[in-house]
Amino acid sequence: MVALMRLLIFGLILLTGVYLGLLWYFRAKRRGRMAQDWQEAGRPGDRDAYIAEGMAQYDRSLRRKLLWLVYILPVTAITLLIWLTNFN
Amino acid sequence: MVYLKWGWRIVFWTAVVAFLHYTLPQHDIVRITDTYEKRVNPGENALFWSNANTGENVSATERDVFFIQTFRANDRPMIYRNEDTGWGWPPYFKFNTSNLQARASDMMSKRNAETAQWVAVRHYGWRNEFLSIYPNAVALWEVEGPEARIIPWFNIVLLVALAALYWAVRVRWNRFWANRGASEGGEWSEGKL
Repeated sequence: MVALMRLLIFGLILLTGVYLGLLWYFRAKRRGRMAQDWQEAGRPGDRDAYIAEGMAQYDRSLRRKLLWLVYILPVTAITLLIWLTNFN
Repeated sequence: MVYLKWGWRIVFWTAVVAFLHYTLPQHDIVRITDTYEKRVNPGENALFWSNANTGENVSATERDVFFIQTFRANDRPMIYRNEDTGWGWPPYFKFNTSNLQARASDMMSKRNAETAQWVAVRHYGWRNEFLSIYPNAVALWEVEGPEARIIPWFNIVLLVALAALYWAVRVRWNRFWANRGASEGGEWSEGKL
């Protein structure tokens, strides 16, 4: 049980690190793209409001939700591996 | 400085390759001649032994370990240990040690057998006589003959994925520093590592 707990806790910490890191990276990229968009669209209205709306759109998007795969894929892989190693 | 840099790189990449070579699954085609269990007292080589079987007392310092004694197609002996990896490292999640031992002893085939039974062994780890370490068998299955060929799909996919990941991070890392140098308005990366 100790070993399982260790795996779960360290796994959770590691995956959360990956999740937050990727989230930060994708949001930063998106923010940069929104700023560029604003320039190219001929600077319509307030720059910060434009970017904020783009980010809100991103937060509702499927792309953003797909980031949960960071948790889902490893858990699925481990389950599959346990089955393949021991019961196949 | 150049020597230091290259020395460092060589040490680092050797460690990476050794780690992968130890951890990733490999396949041998062997003839199983015997199975046994032996009391083991891991000492300096403790790193190369697994832990107690899942669910058993983890603080015991010595325990019995299953072994599988085999000969390879070139008539050289190879001994495998057969231990749970459980929830620990390396992540094979192997809990069926005793079942594997039962299957191994069912596939025995001695030199004088009329038709030898060849078996593929999936294992990780190294055999080293000076350290008394043994690769850990993970799976066994029957194959037609000593020339049976096993394509390591898992290793191919994993190594390609690792290389892709390394490349993706490296490109972004370099781009980040290049952009930073450019936006500072100075000579780009002049004098930077």
